[in-house]
Amino acid sequence: MKDLQDLAQRLLVDGTVAVVIGYERGPRGARPAFVQRPEDVERLIFDAECVQNLATYLSPRRRHLLKLGRKAVVAKPCDVRAIAGLVREKQVKRDEVVVIGVRCPGVGEDRCVTCTAREPRLADHLVGAAVAAPAAGESQRDAKLRELEAMTPAERWNFWQAELSRCVRCHACREICPMCQCDRCVASKTQPQWIESSPHARGNLSWQLTRVLHQAGRCVDCGECERACPEGIPLGLLLRKVAEVVDRRFDFRPSDDPELPTPIGAYRLDDPQEFIL
Amino acid sequence: MSKSTQPSTPSSAPGDVAFEPRLTAFVCNWCTYTGADLAGTSRLQMAANVRIIRLPCTGRIDPLFVVKAFERGADGVIVSGCHPADCHYTAGNYHARRRFAVLQELLTFLGVEPERLTFSWVSASEGAKWADVVNGATERVRAVGPFAAYRALVADALPADELQPAARGGAPRATTATEERA
Amino acid sequence: MTAHHLSRKELASWVADLRGRGLRVVGPVEEPSRGGAAAYREVSSADELALGGGLPARSLKEQFLPPTEVLFGFRRSRDGVELIDTPPRALATVLLGVRPCDAAAPELLDRVMGWDYRDEPWFARREATTVVALACPGVDESCFCTAVGLGPDDSRGADLVLTPVKGGYHVDVVTPKGEALVAASSARFAAPKHAEAAAEFHRAAREKVERNVPRVGEGMAAWLAGNFEHEVFSRLALRCHGCGACAAVCPTCHCFDIVDEPEGLFGGVRRRNWDTCQTAVFTLHGSGHNPRPEQNSRFRQRVMHKFSIFPRRFGETLCTGCGRCARACPGGVDLPEIVRDLEELVG
Repeated sequence: MKDLQDLAQRLLVDGTVAVVIGYERGPRGARPAFVQRPEDVERLIFDAECVQNLATYLSPRRRHLLKLGRKAVVAKPCDVRAIAGLVREKQVKRDEVVVIGVRCPGVGEDRCVTCTAREPRLADHLVGAAVAAPAAGESQRDAKLRELEAMTPAERWNFWQAELSRCVRCHACREICPMCQCDRCVASKTQPQWIESSPHARGNLSWQLTRVLHQAGRCVDCGECERACPEGIPLGLLLRKVAEVVDRRFDFRPSDDPELPTPIGAYRLDDPQEFIL
Repeated sequence: MSKSTQPSTPSSAPGDVAFEPRLTAFVCNWCTYTGADLAGTSRLQMAANVRIIRLPCTGRIDPLFVVKAFERGADGVIVSGCHPADCHYTAGNYHARRRFAVLQELLTFLGVEPERLTFSWVSASEGAKWADVVNGATERVRAVGPFAAYRALVADALPADELQPAARGGAPRATTATEERA
Repeated sequence: MTAHHLSRKELASWVADLRGRGLRVVGPVEEPSRGGAAAYREVSSADELALGGGLPARSLKEQFLPPTEVLFGFRRSRDGVELIDTPPRALATVLLGVRPCDAAAPELLDRVMGWDYRDEPWFARREATTVVALACPGVDESCFCTAVGLGPDDSRGADLVLTPVKGGYHVDVVTPKGEALVAASSARFAAPKHAEAAAEFHRAAREKVERNVPRVGEGMAAWLAGNFEHEVFSRLALRCHGCGACAAVCPTCHCFDIVDEPEGLFGGVRRRNWDTCQTAVFTLHGSGHNPRPEQNSRFRQRVMHKFSIFPRRFGETLCTGCGRCARACPGGVDLPEIVRDLEELVG
């Protein structure tokens, strides 16, 4: 990844940024890297193992990173949507981050099957070999969504209870999500306590439902929550369902345009209300 | 294993005469609450199964209110407010409309029977409509039965009658620490 | 230590015996909901067991410390509040075919659970449980049980150890409890036939795992205590998300939160729930002060607790080297790598 390494070196040497957040080879595969010295840029790689969404390190909740100084971040097209989201919601100033967009052939995830973007548009620099736009396909996740929608309510309830009862409320899904930025999450609130903190199915349902609802129109479909979950709960199914609802009703898809307003928080006078008596 | 927190009923099968659904209604102060008042002063007959919680505006309604109602024993929930363009705070119901749309689709996707949720716009002069909404929601919930599934979510729950004070029909005080519990 | 041979066929009969005597049998199975990945579950017959499969996703921690547990109930009374005792549900259980890194962990935690207060729910379950370990061939590059004084052949925390051999398992009896379990089904156990093969299995596994991380030295605990402000922690914490996945899968992480939960209008339960020092609010005081306000200090705490604080108090490392944290971490934090790096600093 010579062009990436050279760019990183330039940015560090001329002081444009204090740290380049990219990917390196770790003991178990590609992982996030924080390069602060020009001589370390050789650690930077990009390949099909680079699934992590590095935009999450820009979130102001990461106080230990804020003090590092101005950052450059390597971002795939999906990751760039998260950066746009952070800028849109005024969590990050656009001119405080240098976006190194990377052309992505897919990182082997199910969500890559339905991805049509191969080159991030919101980027200060573009690296990587040009990649042909793929034909969109149906992902396993979408097939599972259709399967669930065809079930009876009782069958769906049983499916979700089996999945959600495994949740131990480690909150990895929240901590890794670039769009979960609240300094004080509603799930931590105890006076009063709206979401039971206990990891039984009742508390877990309340938590997961709340997180998914708070992500409506904001989730960028980076897949990190599901990847982080130590239990392998299919959180992406819930988020994808809500994304479909938001798209169908409010004509909104995750976007790398920071100027586009989020759909929940906006409204139209003629929003559909067929479900309201 | 359903540990009902309802007053004890002989049986609780859907459609059973003995089951009285318990519904919670989250309504806005300016339109639906006033409309419900009108239904009352007009002596309209309607089901007595609904407990009303008054809020300034449907825009105040957090989806967690609905979840909490189910957690705490509601078999069904009604959410009602001002018609579009009539909101006392101009746009509260527009915001609410988007949130409710996502909420009800998500709850349905999670396996909650759609009959348990009712959304309506009821204005201050629509006492008769409120009576219809209440009656309709009550019958829909009666048909799908008690929300036993929600109450069964806590696998290691203590039996409900142990958590009721004895004075209110709860179990007599357990006597010894070594008594086995199921 | 006495030894036996248990053929595969007799293993199936033995499980049936145990079930017939009303014991719960818990062991590794292939979970369809995880795409066939391994998990520890209760089984009704030996057919369901996947001995020799992958390392189960969760440790045995939840067998003794469930993710959520009712401590007692309470309800309002005329004079105030009545407490409702809930004696711990400790069903007689055999953990069958568990990894040595998992078998060792509850014994480490016994030190904390019996330290200044005897944790009754924990010990009720410990006393009701017999542990039958299955010697491990070594999983992958993230294993480091040998580095913390254990090993894929170790019997720490086990009452019996099974080692895969031709036709079944070589059985080593470790404790009187294990002896009693064998005696109760003595017809299933034959004289040992493949002791050398078992020893070779152990030797090969140990050699494989030892290649990963060198033995943590005696000086580690003191070095960490004396280098609290070392910049290494800030550097290592950069990629940490504070997500708590490591604590969730860890066999020895045991922090818990206690909450009161209303049920109905007049009463409720007090529960103990899993918690993790990696969350921002873990050390948040009521005053608003937080002594660990950033991920640097929280990350340091995890390393300190396992490799310095617990060792200095109890004389051993609060880690069994299972490597789950490294496999689960979404940010690429690698504890085996960190241990290697720290050992170099310790010198």
